[in-house]
Amino acid sequence: MTDQKSAPRVPVEERLFSLVLALLATQSGLTKNEVLSTVQGYRQKYRMGGDNANLERQFERDKDDIRELGVPLETIEDPGQTGNNHILRYRIPRGSYELPLDITFSGAETTLLNLAAMVWREGSLSAESRRALMKLRSLGVESDEPMIGYAPRLRVRESAFDPLSIALERRHIVRFGYLKPGNAEARLRTLAPLALVQHQGRWHVHGIDQDAEETRTFLLSRIVGPVTLTGASFDDTGSDHAERALRELDEIWENGVGVIDVEPGTDAAARLTRRKGSEVTGENRVTLHYSDLNLIADELAGYGPEVVVIEPEWLREAVLDRLTATAEAHGASITADTAGADDTTGIDRG
Amino acid sequence: MAERQAPLQAQDKLTFLLALVPYLTERGPVSVAEAAAHFRVSPEQLRKAVRLIAVSGVPGDTSSYQHGDLFDIAWDDFEQNDQIVLTHMVAIDDSPRFSAREAAALIAGLQYLSALPEHADREIVTSLMAKLARGSSSNPSQVAVAGSDSDDELRIIRAAVADGRRVEFDYRTARGASERRHVDPLRIESIDQDWYLRGWDHDRGALRTFRLDRITHLTATTKPIEHRPEDLPLPDTLFEPSEEDLVVTIDVAAAALPLLGDYIPDGAKTRPSATRNGWLETTLRVAHYHGLKRLIAGMPGVVVVLQPEDARRAVADWASAGAARYL
Repeated sequence: MTDQKSAPRVPVEERLFSLVLALLATQSGLTKNEVLSTVQGYRQKYRMGGDNANLERQFERDKDDIRELGVPLETIEDPGQTGNNHILRYRIPRGSYELPLDITFSGAETTLLNLAAMVWREGSLSAESRRALMKLRSLGVESDEPMIGYAPRLRVRESAFDPLSIALERRHIVRFGYLKPGNAEARLRTLAPLALVQHQGRWHVHGIDQDAEETRTFLLSRIVGPVTLTGASFDDTGSDHAERALRELDEIWENGVGVIDVEPGTDAAARLTRRKGSEVTGENRVTLHYSDLNLIADELAGYGPEVVVIEPEWLREAVLDRLTATAEAHGASITADTAGADDTTGIDRG
Repeated sequence: MAERQAPLQAQDKLTFLLALVPYLTERGPVSVAEAAAHFRVSPEQLRKAVRLIAVSGVPGDTSSYQHGDLFDIAWDDFEQNDQIVLTHMVAIDDSPRFSAREAAALIAGLQYLSALPEHADREIVTSLMAKLARGSSSNPSQVAVAGSDSDDELRIIRAAVADGRRVEFDYRTARGASERRHVDPLRIESIDQDWYLRGWDHDRGALRTFRLDRITHLTATTKPIEHRPEDLPLPDTLFEPSEEDLVVTIDVAAAALPLLGDYIPDGAKTRPSATRNGWLETTLRVAHYHGLKRLIAGMPGVVVVLQPEDARRAVADWASAGAARYL
């Protein structure tokens, strides 16, 4: 350890950069030993004929870091020596490292990509967007016009998103607790994740439920506790999972129909009539769509006396239950006297 | 939009180096200032990267990084004129591919943007998504965002922002009142499915944020705006805390806490609830109880207002009045 510390310190990015350069430059690949003993940043710490266990672990971590950036670091096995990982050779094949030359971006496209990256400026995928933009700028194209006047943003508040997106990329099977509304306890689910999709502002994970052996879609907000990677991986050849998941969610949305009455001139009237798919079907009557009974019941409960559910009956009950529970939790008792006693009468109908 | 310039992590620095080399090769001689502006880094960050590139290379035939195995730059130009001239290149020619997650992030971002009026035809978006997928080192992870319908309001406001014209509309606040508002539109913002207009409100004489789905009877006027985006720095958060905000103490189920993030002030104390097992006690800031009662009633079973009494009462009355409509 001591002599490793006394070696000149090479910054991490210099070591990683040198590793990429060395592996790009080699045709036949370098063995681990060749890397450790010759590449800048490793060679300073390398002990000829000694124990290099720390340095080897460093190399393993560096390989992961580099691969995460999309650098195709390849392992070649000597045909006669399968299984002997000391003579594995490492290299980065130029053809799969470099952006194909026929891929170019116009100024207008660059502007749009800048905006697309800005969408992720908070939290999840912000590092990926930032790095994607650096690679884009590498091509030297300037944005046509700065897209002023827009600041769109996607937000992920569910902590399950990051582990799921990593599992998605590595094709790893995951396990998580999933709490269905109305159930007292979360049930453990094992899933081969195929896509993460946002539908009506909510994130879902779509994949193959390993117990049901069928595709299922889960709401991220109902995942409780950590998402763990099981270590098992799976094969996935499809390229339209996200599209299919969104199509299925659209169908569910289409089939979920509720009829409500809204008080004219209220926030509920303004917003619910402009909800996607809403139709005004009578005086103050709106037919709206939803994908999840519990979520729409929560949302409608928020409007308090501004809406009344007409049908279906179970949505009526679900909203009434919620309002009653909220009232009671806040110390009110429900009697017929309260009807119309509050804000509904005071609302400006202009 | 001011970009945050967070200190770069090692992976970011590596990406920057791998991106900078092909840019310098392709671009030819370039000033530090121009290259830094292009990559949106500070001139010093750029100089540091150039110095590192200039002493880097490959081990080479001798495994000892001989002169010809290294990049080189015209040092005099660099030191004296702040000019970058690469004089010797090794190993790298072209830009790196995107990683699966990088491509996925941009593709999902593009899908989201396809809701914007000017991308309604989606042709450019579709072709870009295909390019990103092809330029990715492995199949992009499947992250997708359902497009929302862009409505007429968005179209009208977008045009008004672009032309610098004032707009007028009826706006209904959470309090319930509706008023005609006259606004210089500065920026359209969105969070997930919700769209907002930020602008100078002539009736209030202040910057205001409006939810698009609360705007009705919108008209674009021919009056030029008096307040321009470049004169009015817009804060990064949609809603600015104000001195007059009301502070409310709540109990919240731990899992629901992130949903209240916008209302919990920085530095709020969060501690285990005194009476509810597995719940937390914390504080919210709200402009008025009209917004609060809607928020709390819309999260049934996971949030309870503790105090002040007026706030608790406002929620109780709101929910009771709602329930009473079914009796």
